[in-house]
Amino acid sequence: MSDALFDPPGTTWTRVSPALTTVRRILLVPPLVVVAIALVGAALLWADGPWPVVLLALAVVALGAAAWTWRWAARNTASWGYAEQEDDLLVTGGVLFRRLVAVPYGRMQFVDVQAGPVDRRFGIATVTLHTASTETAADIPGLPAEEARRLRNRLTELGESHGAGL
Amino acid sequence: MAPDSDAGQESQGSRTHPLTGLVQGTLWAGAAVAGLVGQLVSGDGWGELPIWLSLVAAVGGGLLIGVGFGFLTWYFTRYVIDGTELRISSGVLQKSSRRIPYERIQSVDVAEPFLARVLGLAELRIEMAGGKNARTSLRFVSLDDARRLRGILLARAQGREVTDDHHEQEELDVIAHVSPERVVIGTLLSLDFLAAVLGTIAAAVAAVWFGQVLAFLGGLVPLGTWVVQIVGRRVLQQWDFTLYRSATGFRIERGLLSRTSQSIPFARVQGVAIEEPYVWRRLGWQRLEVDVAGQAAHDGDDSSDISSTLLPIADPALAAAVLEEMVPGARADADDPVRVPRRSWPFAPIGWRYRWVTADGVAFVARSGWLTRTTDVVPHARTQSVELRQGPLQRRLGVATIEVHTPKGPVDADGPHLDAPRARELAFAQLEHARRARLPH
Repeated sequence: MSDALFDPPGTTWTRVSPALTTVRRILLVPPLVVVAIALVGAALLWADGPWPVVLLALAVVALGAAAWTWRWAARNTASWGYAEQEDDLLVTGGVLFRRLVAVPYGRMQFVDVQAGPVDRRFGIATVTLHTASTETAADIPGLPAEEARRLRNRLTELGESHGAGL
Repeated sequence: MAPDSDAGQESQGSRTHPLTGLVQGTLWAGAAVAGLVGQLVSGDGWGELPIWLSLVAAVGGGLLIGVGFGFLTWYFTRYVIDGTELRISSGVLQKSSRRIPYERIQSVDVAEPFLARVLGLAELRIEMAGGKNARTSLRFVSLDDARRLRGILLARAQGREVTDDHHEQEELDVIAHVSPERVVIGTLLSLDFLAAVLGTIAAAVAAVWFGQVLAFLGGLVPLGTWVVQIVGRRVLQQWDFTLYRSATGFRIERGLLSRTSQSIPFARVQGVAIEEPYVWRRLGWQRLEVDVAGQAAHDGDDSSDISSTLLPIADPALAAAVLEEMVPGARADADDPVRVPRRSWPFAPIGWRYRWVTADGVAFVARSGWLTRTTDVVPHARTQSVELRQGPLQRRLGVATIEVHTPKGPVDADGPHLDAPRARELAFAQLEHARRARLPH
């Protein structure tokens, strides 16, 4: 039922690039692994009293977080999607906390495309839609760069033709 | 302000009022004294100087330097009103010049901060459409000049041509006047004031009872500050509150020490919130707040000067009439609203009974709150975007939240924890309402 709840009417979601999973894993997993290794190292050096047990427990937690993040990246990427409707752009995302934002083209103030160094290496970008409301917060992460550019141009064009001021 | 090619070449044009320097200087002296007092309280004075000497030094030095700088700033500030724009150039060393094309002017407010008001001066605040630094102020000119300039700027912003000395007087009808007594009584009966006072009394009693005055001072000071803030915001700022109707919107005049004259064009109203604190509801009183496009963008700097309160206290008939004027056809009530299901109680054990949303032909309306009842009204044409969301607990309970996004401000049109399929229906219906409302009539 909860899936039907967030389906776009009449179409299907355009999903984002699987490269987003890789980028997020590269950015998030190694720091956690490094922390875990450092904790293990500290436990070996500090072989005194209750400390080694505490440090090792923390290391296990860090490794667990790394494993969870590894899985989360894939699930989260699969949850993102967008659909270009006649009058609105629909964006969905989130696994545990699901969200669907519908932004009328005529309400769009401007569209941003952003890509960090790792994003660029993997050829993806994040498109952000801005309306007069800060609550809108409509990001689409992990779009292939070419598609991001196309979407931005298309949205800007649609925004102009549907524009109704504030 | 962007550096402009013509900065520094502006030798003609009008000057602001010569007393500007004095006001600015006094303000700086005040800041210096406040800083010194803060230092004295925290224990370190200015070296070995006795307290009275450092006070005199702070006041005298602050005044002297302040007035000096104020005078220099005034000397180099000029403004020009020509056929197409208002230009303000300023700066002693770093010259800057700002152009304000008439067609970009959204509103012009006249403010009289207390010190300036004593000297018969006023500040002109000009709001432009969009972007950062969308607000420019011209401080200070005489009150008459400020009103005259506002008349000219507003007329030109609407494309009417007026000459400098022959401007038409704007026609204003009084819609409502809120007497100071009513503002005071309303504040005394408002929930946050009662809570703050009760908290202060409780802290004071506890301090005496346990004999640990210093320890409880820590609790007393923030509570006392809260009371002062509430009184400042609700009483001093709303003193002698008058709401006028002009050709293009509302005009608010208010304030005891500092007076503000603020205009709210109908076209910029993005949403209306009607607030009814518990005690007020018994008396049939309401407070009306509005979201105005662009105005919330500068909170932080002087948010106290711009208020989103359209009516501090009104009876329901007046509130409904004012709402009708801003959003024709809107009602802050519903015959058959979508209520929140009982199973959503874990999110709001008491509040769930009082929550509902509805969308009629004109606006999206959301009601919530049992202590302070809030009714948010967002005209369909102002819907910025629509959101549907669901968290893990909501999924278990089969509920979902719908939000109609509005620009930053007091209005928050949310339908939390509605029956999930119903919420989805509402969200897509809202898109359709919004689409229809955007079509040119």
